[in-house]
Amino acid sequence: MNVAFLVNDLQLSGGVGVVVEHARQLPRHGIEAALVLAREREDPDWRFRGLGEVEVLSLAQARERRFDVALATWWATTEPLFELPARRRAYFVQSLEDRFYRPDDPQRLGAALTHDLPVDVVTEARWIAETLEELRPDLRALLVRNGVAKDVFTPPAELDVRLHGPLRIVIEGNPHVWFKGVPEALAAVREMREPRHVTLVTGARDVDTTGADEVVGPLTHEEMAALYARSDVVLKLSRVEGMFGPPLEGFHLGATCVVTAVTGHEEYVEHGVNGLVVDWDDPRGTSRALDLLARDRALLHHLRCGALATARAWPSWEQAGTVMAAALREIARRPEPAAAPGAARAIADVRAAVEAQALVVAERDRLRYRVKPLERLDRVVERAPLRWLLAPLRRVWRRVRPT
Amino acid sequence: MADWQERITRDTKPSIRVEHDLRYAAAAPFVAGAATWCDLGCGTGVAAADALGDTPLARVVLVDADADALDQAGRDLQARDVVRVQADLATEEGVAAVRAALGDGEPGTITCFEVIEHLTTFVPLVGALVELGEQGWTVVLSVPNDAFWALENPYHETMWGEGAFDELRRLLPADAVVARQVPLDGSHLVVEGRDGPLELPPVTPRPDAVPSHFIAAFGPRAGELASRALAIPSDLDGRRTWERQRESTLAVLEAELAELRAYVKWSSEEFARLNAPAELREQTPETVARREP
Repeated sequence: MNVAFLVNDLQLSGGVGVVVEHARQLPRHGIEAALVLAREREDPDWRFRGLGEVEVLSLAQARERRFDVALATWWATTEPLFELPARRRAYFVQSLEDRFYRPDDPQRLGAALTHDLPVDVVTEARWIAETLEELRPDLRALLVRNGVAKDVFTPPAELDVRLHGPLRIVIEGNPHVWFKGVPEALAAVREMREPRHVTLVTGARDVDTTGADEVVGPLTHEEMAALYARSDVVLKLSRVEGMFGPPLEGFHLGATCVVTAVTGHEEYVEHGVNGLVVDWDDPRGTSRALDLLARDRALLHHLRCGALATARAWPSWEQAGTVMAAALREIARRPEPAAAPGAARAIADVRAAVEAQALVVAERDRLRYRVKPLERLDRVVERAPLRWLLAPLRRVWRRVRPT
Repeated sequence: MADWQERITRDTKPSIRVEHDLRYAAAAPFVAGAATWCDLGCGTGVAAADALGDTPLARVVLVDADADALDQAGRDLQARDVVRVQADLATEEGVAAVRAALGDGEPGTITCFEVIEHLTTFVPLVGALVELGEQGWTVVLSVPNDAFWALENPYHETMWGEGAFDELRRLLPADAVVARQVPLDGSHLVVEGRDGPLELPPVTPRPDAVPSHFIAAFGPRAGELASRALAIPSDLDGRRTWERQRESTLAVLEAELAELRAYVKWSSEEFARLNAPAELREQTPETVARREP
């Protein structure tokens, strides 16, 4: 059996890392796996663990092959999915990716429409499986949770009790990505009263990092593991997550977490058992939770022990690879999903999008009508003969006029 | 300390025995009327014999990786024909051997209790079970909830819990019947001279009870899987014997380990001494004292 995973690129991202791990596990189960790049390489590949063990093909090369199963792994890779010669096609859904875009972003609709495709679905989180099954009653999503590299994120045999010193906090994520909540996390640590040491892990450098004591990254898995091992808490205030991996990796090294109730957290975070779940948009409450952990070292140790126990029960990549192999064989075995329900859903979604767009256009026209007198005034104020005469008025106008 | 009892024997403690007995008792209605019953990972067959010992059975296919256990299994069954298959169910060959033993006759029942977690890969087995289900076999399987206790069982190749079971469940037919096996606690007050059979009062299960095992059944008769409970008398005397035996065995093994460690240390030092230059090798406190001014 041979399978193709379509990826957009091989740049540093959790989603691509997951696909690489699965691809390197599958040969153990008699399945050849290749990564197919949906677009030309623009930047050098990230040093993913085990990437060298996996065959990487261009789209042109892949078109010359024949696959038993081809899988899209990101919404934009669903288009080339249908260009590959494959007996069966599937979609490895790692998040509901429409949520990555703001409501007025047209890519949001593009990502949402891909869930109407009449293909089998493999996903990594139960909330995604259940949501997709609600959207597509004919769907029976296969579930393959992400594993953890136990040889890198190796749980310690025992946890050291940390009675003294500042609370060591890790914040991880790209501050430019709005849904990662990094600025919110930095705002929360800035409001803390107790001693703390904050490490921000990010590849971005042109950002406000006030609140962080050190900024590092991008880091390899080994470097992340070492950082988690010397940290007490992973602070993650994301608004959108798929499987929500970073706190779980921290758990493996005995770091507890303070997180929002983001999708994916329910799979393994238990408030008061292995971490603390804080409210949305509540930097003060979040900083009080962090202060509590800094003060109450018994609670901190209790949550760290809970985190470590959760980590021990989490599957390795080897186990996840076994489940993925079984899922792929099941996809190959099942009859192909019927196209008609998917087409009907897609048409209904397009119609809804057209109606939504019509509302936007109507709203835009209404605003344009209301703004017309202001535009007329603007033109008068900017007219050359009057410029010097109206200079003081123009300064005031520029300050108050709508942009 | 965790108590790893992977092979069920007559000496296995009752709380573990009763769990196995209940699973076989739950499957008994499907097994009893089946043209062929296949027990995957049958072990010594103790629990199956307890549940089915008096039931007349047609053809029985017993499968295990361990030849000694397989040899004991099935002796207490009232079967018309017993076929024993030694097979590693983690391999395509092992699974093929089982399928060959099942033959092309009338489909029956397959039980697969506490097997999957022992396999280095369950891909061949699960695929075969799903196919057999489609061919008319009724399959009943179970996996443990190790994840709840974060039990790192050295005999288990994979970690099972609610999430892992959900992964498995989605590989099985959509109409598979799912059950959670939940432990019960109990005690019995016996008035002197009135120690006959016991009627247990109704027990209201806790809605949030954590299961010890997850069970799935699929195939034509899966819908007949019924809720049930089983109580067996505790054997405190046997348990005490067993635990003391375990403690004493552990103490002996720890002492032997200490001896072996000391031997390895001594060997390493002796090896280093023998590899050292001659003047150092022959060195004694006396020669050192003599050399010093």
